[in-house]
Order: sequence, then structure tokens, then C-alpha cells
Amino acid sequence: MNKKIGVFVCHCGINISSTVDVEQLTEFAKTLDNVVVSKNYKYMCSDNGAKLIKESIVKNKLDSVVIACCSPRMHEQTFRGVVESGKVNPFNLEIANIREQCSWAHSDKELATKKAKAIVKSAVAKAHLLEPLVKSKIKVTPNALVIGGGIAGIQASLDLAEKGLKVYLVEKSPSIGGRMAQLDKTFPTLDCSGCILTPKMMDVGNHPNIELMTYSELVSVDGSVGNYTVRIREKARFVDMVKCTGCLACVDACRLKGRIPSEFDMKMGKRGAIYVPFPQAIPLKGTIDSESCLMLTRGKCGTGPLCVEACEPGAIDFKQKDKEKEIKVGAIIIATGYDVLDPSSMYEYSYSNSKDVITSLEMERLINSSGPTVGEILRPSDSKKPKSVTYLLCVGSRDETECTWCCRIGCMSALKQMYLLKEKLGDEVELNICYTDIRSFGKGYEEFYRNIRGMNTNFFRGRPSEVRNAGEHLTIDIFDTTTNKLFEINTDLVVLVPALVPRYDSGELAHIMRLSQSSDGFYLEAHPKLRPMDTLTNGIFIAGCCQGPKDIQDTVSHASGAASRASVILSQEEMDIDPQIAIVDVDLCSGCKVCISICPYNAIESVEEEIDGKIVTHAQVNEALCMGCGSCVSACTSGALQHKGFKDKQILAMIAAVGDY
Amino acid sequence: MEKFALYPGCVMPTEQYAYEMSIREVIPKLGVELIDLKNFSCCGEPIKSVNQMMTLTLSARNIAIAEKQNLDIFAPCPMCHLALTETKKILDSDEIMFDRINNLLKDEDLTYKGSSKIISILDLLYDIVGTEKIKKLVKKPLKDLKVAVHYGCHLIRPSEIGRSDDSENPQKIDKILKEIGANPEYYPEKLDCCGALLSTNLPESGLTKTGQKLKSVQEQGFDAFVDTCPWCHRQYDAKQVKAGETVAAKLEMPVFYLTQLIGMSFGIPEEKLGLKLNQSPVEKIGVEK
Repeated sequence: MNKKIGVFVCHCGINISSTVDVEQLTEFAKTLDNVVVSKNYKYMCSDNGAKLIKESIVKNKLDSVVIACCSPRMHEQTFRGVVESGKVNPFNLEIANIREQCSWAHSDKELATKKAKAIVKSAVAKAHLLEPLVKSKIKVTPNALVIGGGIAGIQASLDLAEKGLKVYLVEKSPSIGGRMAQLDKTFPTLDCSGCILTPKMMDVGNHPNIELMTYSELVSVDGSVGNYTVRIREKARFVDMVKCTGCLACVDACRLKGRIPSEFDMKMGKRGAIYVPFPQAIPLKGTIDSESCLMLTRGKCGTGPLCVEACEPGAIDFKQKDKEKEIKVGAIIIATGYDVLDPSSMYEYSYSNSKDVITSLEMERLINSSGPTVGEILRPSDSKKPKSVTYLLCVGSRDETECTWCCRIGCMSALKQMYLLKEKLGDEVELNICYTDIRSFGKGYEEFYRNIRGMNTNFFRGRPSEVRNAGEHLTIDIFDTTTNKLFEINTDLVVLVPALVPRYDSGELAHIMRLSQSSDGFYLEAHPKLRPMDTLTNGIFIAGCCQGPKDIQDTVSHASGAASRASVILSQEEMDIDPQIAIVDVDLCSGCKVCISICPYNAIESVEEEIDGKIVTHAQVNEALCMGCGSCVSACTSGALQHKGFKDKQILAMIAAVGDY
Repeated sequence: MEKFALYPGCVMPTEQYAYEMSIREVIPKLGVELIDLKNFSCCGEPIKSVNQMMTLTLSARNIAIAEKQNLDIFAPCPMCHLALTETKKILDSDEIMFDRINNLLKDEDLTYKGSSKIISILDLLYDIVGTEKIKKLVKKPLKDLKVAVHYGCHLIRPSEIGRSDDSENPQKIDKILKEIGANPEYYPEKLDCCGALLSTNLPESGLTKTGQKLKSVQEQGFDAFVDTCPWCHRQYDAKQVKAGETVAAKLEMPVFYLTQLIGMSFGIPEEKLGLKLNQSPVEKIGVEK
């Protein structure tokens, strides 16, 4: 039986119609086999467009619909709904992409129209062979996994837990808190960063719905949206978490106390082999660094380990081993944060050449009253108070040889530190700042900037070519583009404000989670404007700086958004599965198992079945796991595997249709 | 034995004879044969800002002469090396320019193919010969000689077209010097400009740049100053006294070509290395003049 097909051509304002002759295209469609109606409209995705399609379906008793418009990634879902409202199976729809793949790519109207005709003809050929598909349902595990315990992970976990969902929060380091815990004050309100963060950290620690897993790492993720199985490795702390009371007597007792560079203090301060990264750590339990501890590296610690002697409850356990744990979750939020670019790669800024060239995060630890200098600003080389401090912005940021992007927090964090330095060192301290542009775009930021400019500070617009270590002090030549003059700055301490970069191991996590990264290495969102918390993998969301640089308020908003997006999935008992997945023709399958080795989602298994008295081995697709990627289809040598939305016969018909062009 | 066409450029064969002499002495000892070809012309670099097409044509013409003999080019002058490298980079990636230039070369029956490599003094000494081989030939190590290394600009910049060493932290000359017993030390002015390119329109400013750098090197107690570029060398060696006047300093800094210091460590007689031609006080470190 011949199907009745309708073709609907969208102008997309002038996005399509300025390059493709839509009238001609509509008339052309009418000449194609099985097409009974063809219409065009300015915006097919509008209410009126939808109405036009629906009415045409009903009036002409259409079986299949072709819409010539933008990419299916934009509006395919919208149009499936429209088709369904006309009582046609939503999968009897074919999108002919004449915008991204035609009008936007070309300028010659005649040729573009010719190409658009080919695209439509090919879509009609497929539409004739489309088969109705039915969505199936799966049960959803109502638990969430949050990876990363910085402010983004904390916010997302609390939001989900408050909704009554079970949350597993996994953090790599011994305590949650992340970068925000390292900061002294936040801009532009000068809130004490620790004071506003610690209550949230405690909420996480105490929340009945949150299972906190610190000093833990992700091992593997299997399954798909609604039902993930995740393996997590809890690294040995060599401290019994139940027995430890958090008295920290061990930390004071350690033989190596004050001898190992502290990661939390950006190596500006020292810790022992058993340590708590900072006093407000959650959980407040000791952790033994297995790479430094004398017992663990040499099997001997003087006359006996002092931590064991000091620990009344007997919580130290040198025999502890890493443990693996399996959890089941329905959605995952990744909130792994950022790293600060190591400025050593920019040799000209003397970071590796002078102790008195530090990064802004290192300065943050100097300013902080629980930091290595108890809040005193002392230059690292001679522990004296600097009389002059110079900030260099955009170190590696907005730089084609390092990071092309803006770090979005550099300007404001430097201005904030300048304010705090005036407080700590007195108004007589000379403060210089070399900037590219001051980007003070947030609420209250511009006012803060104006305030600092009004103080006794020197602003130079330009990038110094070099920071020179001249022994006693540092010299910087800066060409100020506002006055067109070259200045030579002699200064005691240089603070570099480096680019924000993806975590050093972000590629590894992307591999485990099957995530895409944008060219800068940050995790790729599903849509930069409209789906900034989603990834291209359904059920996996991103929050905070792992998606791109953000300040704290944007991070918190992003994290709450991600939690909200995740809860859309987690609050359903059952969810629809896309029926456009792979299917096996058992009669054709030879049981070679090539597809099993190729499937990235472990969605295919080999099964034995008795058919006509014979035992037959064949592949079987797990509908809940199959993502419809099509890898198995192209690998199958016997043609037994077919993709329900892209069957061989459908694709071949499309190719045959464009044969004349 | 490796062979290279020696592309002399203009400054070296017309006034900086010492560089050429020391190259012709030292390089063959390292197992590299230098071939002289006829008809080389200007590299084109000095007119690049006025007529880039002319620069490309001249450079391509020189490369084509070497390609006819199936030889890679060794260009000891970093400025020539830059011109030839940049031309190669453009012609190898731009088909239209490739055709235009070859059309211009037709009259001389020359064709630019892109088959020859362009080798700098550092490529040759560090990457092709290697420090191991240099070390083996050292007979008189330059013991305790505290040397300030000057890399100049053309050898290391612009980095995006591919230069012989890192543009911000070059180390290859330092490493070679260590192998011949000398003691190259860091100094903050290491990458400062020699001032040579200002000598036509702002000669005073150029000399000031020269003077500032040498004055600082002298103050920091260096025994010698080493370079590999005939333009830089002219500033630091021949113009040293004048440069000193611009910064009110009496400059007495022995200035050498890298190949001269290597030759000295190999025990090559001083007159063969052109040391008598150095105008800076090289006798301060025991060179007879």
C-alpha cells in the first residue's frame, strides 16, 4: 500500500528562505511519489506552524510526515509531539535538515535550492519506509551520585537530599569543601568564605539522606539513565572512621609534623604524615598520607609510631586496605571543579625562578588567618612584609599560546585581594595591577571595582612581557596603553592570576563516564544556552567549574540547576525509553559476538535459544541499556543487527533518491 | 658524512669574517661537509616590511638553488634562517603563492619544490651533531669561564613558525657551553634586544640597548659574552665602546661567536678562528692578539 506523505517546508524567518527558494521547494515536493500535500510557513515550530501540520495530517489522512527545517537536534522532539497530536505515530516523522546542512552552509541560492530538493527527496524516500515505533518503560532507581565535594557538589547534594532523594557524595580528597574552603573572603561582599561554607559542609555531614564518601574515587560506571551501577574505591586512610573521635592528638604527635608540603595550603605551608587538611574539615578525621608516613614507607617510625601512642581510642590501623563498593543510582551529577594553570610554563613570569612570584590562590592562603602565616602577608623569600605588591592578570588566560578563554574570576579576585592587602599592610603599601580589561560583570562587582580604583592603587592596562628577578626585588616593564607610556615597576612581591583549567585528570573521568569535552578540555554541555547543566549522555549532569570557569554565585546557581534537572529523572517511578535502538534478526545472526565487543554500553549479550528443536546462539539487545549509537549495526557482518530508526533499507532508499544529483 | 649547502648571507662574508672562519674550521671537524654553491643572493629579510613578495621570491630562489643540488641549507645567520624558514612555511602551505613564486623563478630555470630543509647554527650543533660529539673533541676545556649567553631574537622568535629553541627559556647554547667546560649563568637581561635593527633609523637608541645589556653583564662579573648572530655581534663587539658611551660606562667585555669558543676548546689555533678580528678585548681571557 502506498503511504500518504505530507511535506512541510519552514522558512525559519529568513534563515532558510534567504538562501533556499522555499516556494519552488514546496512545489517540487508535490511532484514526488506518495506526497499528497506540501506547504510552507514562516516558522513551523510556532503554534501556527504546528496547527498547520496537524490540520494537514487530519485533512489528508497522512501516514508519514517530512518537515524540511533545522537540524533534528533542535526540534525533532517538538515535531514528534505535533505529529502525535495528529494521531500519527511520532516516529513516522522524518526531518530534512535544510538549514545547518544547506542554507547556512551556502550562499548561491540556485545551487542551495537544488541541494534542498535533493535533501527533501531523500527524506520522502525514507518517510515511505518508516515504521511506527512504541516507547517502552523502565523503572528508575531514585538515588543520585554526586562526584566532587566542592561548593557545587555540596549545593547539588543538599538540594537533592532536601527533596527526599538518597545522595551519594564522592570526594577524592580527605575532606569536602573544595576550592571555596581555600579562600579567605569572597567578592564583592567580603563575606568570610569559610564562615558561609562550613554550615553547608556540616549539613552535608549530618544529612540523613546523604552518604558521604571522602578519600574515594570512581572506578567504573555501567548502565544508563535511571539505572546506573557505579563502583567506588574508598582509599585506605589507615584510620578507623568509627573509632576516630576527631580529637586530632595524632596530628600533633606525628614525627613528620610540619615537614610535608600541604596541598590545602597550596604548598605554602606544611603538614605531617597524618593530617587533617584544615580545622573545619568534614569529616573531621585523620588521614595518613601513605607516600610520606614512615611506618607505611619504611615499616619503622623511630621507636614506635607516635600517632598510635597518642590515639586513645586506638583508631590507627596500618593494615587498612582500599575498599570497593557498588552503588545503584538513577542519575549522576559531576562537580569536579577546576585546577589553576601552573605558571611555570610561562617562563617569562619567573614563577619557577623566584620565590616571590606566587599565584593568587597561594596569596589566598597567605591572607587567610588559618593559613601558614596566620594571616600575615610575608614574602616567601625573606618572611618580610612587602612594601609593594604587583598583580598580573590574565596569566595564560585570553592567550592563544596557553588558554584562549577568560577565567571569569581573575579580575574580581585580584581586586578583592588588593582591598584585603590594604587592610593588612596599611594604606602605605604600593599596590600595582597590570590588567587586560577589568571584567566586573556581576551584581555589585562594578561598584566594588570603582571602590578599589578610588583607593591608592596603580592600574596599568597592558601585559608585561617579563617579570625579572633582580635579587632583592622584582622588576616589570609594562607598557600602559591608556597613557602610551612605558613604566618600569620595582616591586617586592608579584601575584600571578593564572588561567582556570580543567582538572588534570578530567580526561580520565570523561573516559569512565563517556562524556564529551569541549576543545578547552572542560566538560561539554548539551546546549550552551538552553541545556547548560545537561551532558550529551542522558542522566548525567554537570555542575560548576568542570563545565567552564565560574564564580561562586554562578557555581551555586548551576549546581542547583543540575540538581533540579537530575530530580526530573529521579522523581519518576518509570521512564520512557527511546525506541530508536538496535534490534537483532535472530534468523540472520550467526552468533559471532563481534557486536558484544564493540558495544560501548554493554547492552548486547549472547543468548542460547531453542528454535525448531535446535539450540541457536544469537545476540540479544538489552533495551534499557542500548543508547541507539549504531556501532553494532555497522560492525555486524551478516546484517542481523538493524537500528530501528535507520534500517539499511531506509538508508539505501535515501541514497538511491539522491542518485540523480 | 652529512652535507649542507652553506648559505652565507650578506653580513658574514662582507664584514663578519671571523664568524665564517670559525664555522669553516669547526663544522667540518664535527663530521659535516659544507658545500659552496654559486649564485646565492640576498635572503630578502631586510626588505620584508616594504615588499614581502620580493622577500619570498629572493628566499625561494636561494632555496631552489640548493634544491637543484639535492642539498639542505645551512644558514648560520639567524636573520637569513628566519627569512628562508618563513618563506618555506608559506610556500609549503599556500598553493597559490607557490605557483606565483615559481612563475617568477622560471626565467632563471629554477623551481622551488619544498624538498630542502633549512638548518640554523643551533639546529646543526645541538640537534644534528649533538653535544656528545662536541664533548669528545674538547682538548682545552674553557675552565671556569663565566659566560653570558645572548640568543638574539631571530633564532628563537616568532615561535609559531618553528624556531631553533624555546622563545622564553632557550637553553641549547648553554648546554653546548657546558660541554666545552664553560660556565654559562643566568642573568635577568638574557633575552634583551641587541639594538641592531634600530641602527638605521634610531642609531642612538640601538646603541643604548646594546650598552645597557653589556653594562649589566659586566656589572654581574661575567668573563665573556657569546652570540651566534652577525648582527648582534657587530653591536656587542665592534660597537662596544660607542655603546658604552651611551650608558656612561667603560665597557671591556670580551665578545665571542659560539663557534669561536668551541674552536678554542678544540685547540684550533686562534688565527684560524678569526680571533684577531674581534674588536672587543678578547685578550682579557688570554687570547693573544
